[in-house]
Parts: sequence; C-alpha cells; structure tokens
Amino acid sequence: MNATRKWILHRVSAIILAPLFFWIYFSLISLSTKNYQEAAYFFENSLFTVLTIVLFFIGFFHAKISLNEIFEDYIHNKKTKDVANILALILSIVIPVIILILFTYKL
Amino acid sequence: MTENQNPLSPHLQIYRWHISSLLSIAHRICGVVNLFSLILIFFWLIILSLGESNYELFLLVINSFIGKFILIGFTWSMSFHTLSGIRHLAWDMGYGFEIKTANISGIIVIISSLVLTIAFWLLGRGLI
Repeated sequence: MNATRKWILHRVSAIILAPLFFWIYFSLISLSTKNYQEAAYFFENSLFTVLTIVLFFIGFFHAKISLNEIFEDYIHNKKTKDVANILALILSIVIPVIILILFTYKL
Repeated sequence: MTENQNPLSPHLQIYRWHISSLLSIAHRICGVVNLFSLILIFFWLIILSLGESNYELFLLVINSFIGKFILIGFTWSMSFHTLSGIRHLAWDMGYGFEIKTANISGIIVIISSLVLTIAFWLLGRGLI
C-alpha cells in the first residue's frame, strides 16, 4: 500500500470509527448494569450485529496502520520491525474474523 | 571551578511541556490503550456467548471497583483520542495551525474529553 493511500484510508477509517465509538461505549456502559438475559437479547439485535462487525473490521484496520507508524518510529531493528508488523497484521485479521464467525453462528 | 554554562540537549524529564507536545504523545498512548479496550470488548462478546454463569462472573468483575476504574479509564481514553483525532483532521484540512488556536483547541479537547466521559457514565448507567 503506498503512503498516500495509507494516509487517506487511515483518516477515512477514523471518520467511520468516531460515531461507532459513541454508540459502542454507550451500549456497553448500559449493558454493564443489565443481566445476562437482557445482554443476550441485545446481542441478537441485527443493528447491534452489523455495527459491531463493522467496528471490529474498521477498528483493527485503523489500529494496524497506526501500529505500523508507531513501529516505524520506535523499532530500529529491521527484523524486529518486520515481525511486529506481521503480528499486527495477523491480529487485525484474526480478531474481526472471530467476531464475524461469532455473530454468524449466533452464540 | 565555574559551573558549566553550556546548554544541554533536552532530557525528557526537564523538557518544558507544552499543550501541543503533551497532547501529541497522549493521542498516541491513548490510541494504543484503545486497542486494548477493543480487545476487552472482544472478550466481553466472547464471554457473553459462553452462557449465563460465565457472564454473571464477568459482570461481577467489571462492576467491581477495579473493573469500573478500568472501564472509566478506557472511556476517557477513547473520548480523548476521538476528540483529539477530530483536531488532527482539522489540521489535515489546513485549519487551526496558529499557536494560539492550537493551544485553545488543545484545552477544549482535554476539557470536553472529561465532560464526555462523565456524560457517558451518567447516561449509560441511567443516573440521569
């Protein structure tokens, strides 16, 4: 991915994430006062499903690009940096995919 | 022996902090913290899928003093990073570079992140 495209995608993902952040935090803080039945009911809501999946894919994409920048600044050994970048890439794919599977097969 | 009057290179401990430098590094640190908060949300959903007894235990943990402390910390971190990110987007579009404007927008980000965190908890917990 060239640097300009990366820069633009980083900003675009940030703009998508901002409203999702308000929604997920408000949802989770109110969920923390509710019992299992109410939480499970929330989990079955299709809007919650779609927004959560989008949050995880875009959120980890945003995190991956950011981690690349951070590693670039602070890790000076090229081998270590490459390994760190690969780990960031794996993390940014595996976690959203698990969430997708979790919601697809519904509990 | 006279004291050495030569200037030293700036050590982080004695470097004079400005709002701009403080917010810059805080934005980055909070971004990393937010990654951990997303991982916590990931486990939250996994535990919810594991059934009632596991989830009830998880609720006990997050409603404990330490649990709440961490969640409130995550809420602030996410609020700060989002608001500071909006400030960065304004810069990306070429606005707000004047020192005075940048200092004022920095203070606004700090205060509104605290207000937002309080609002989240009062509204989310149904206290108002």
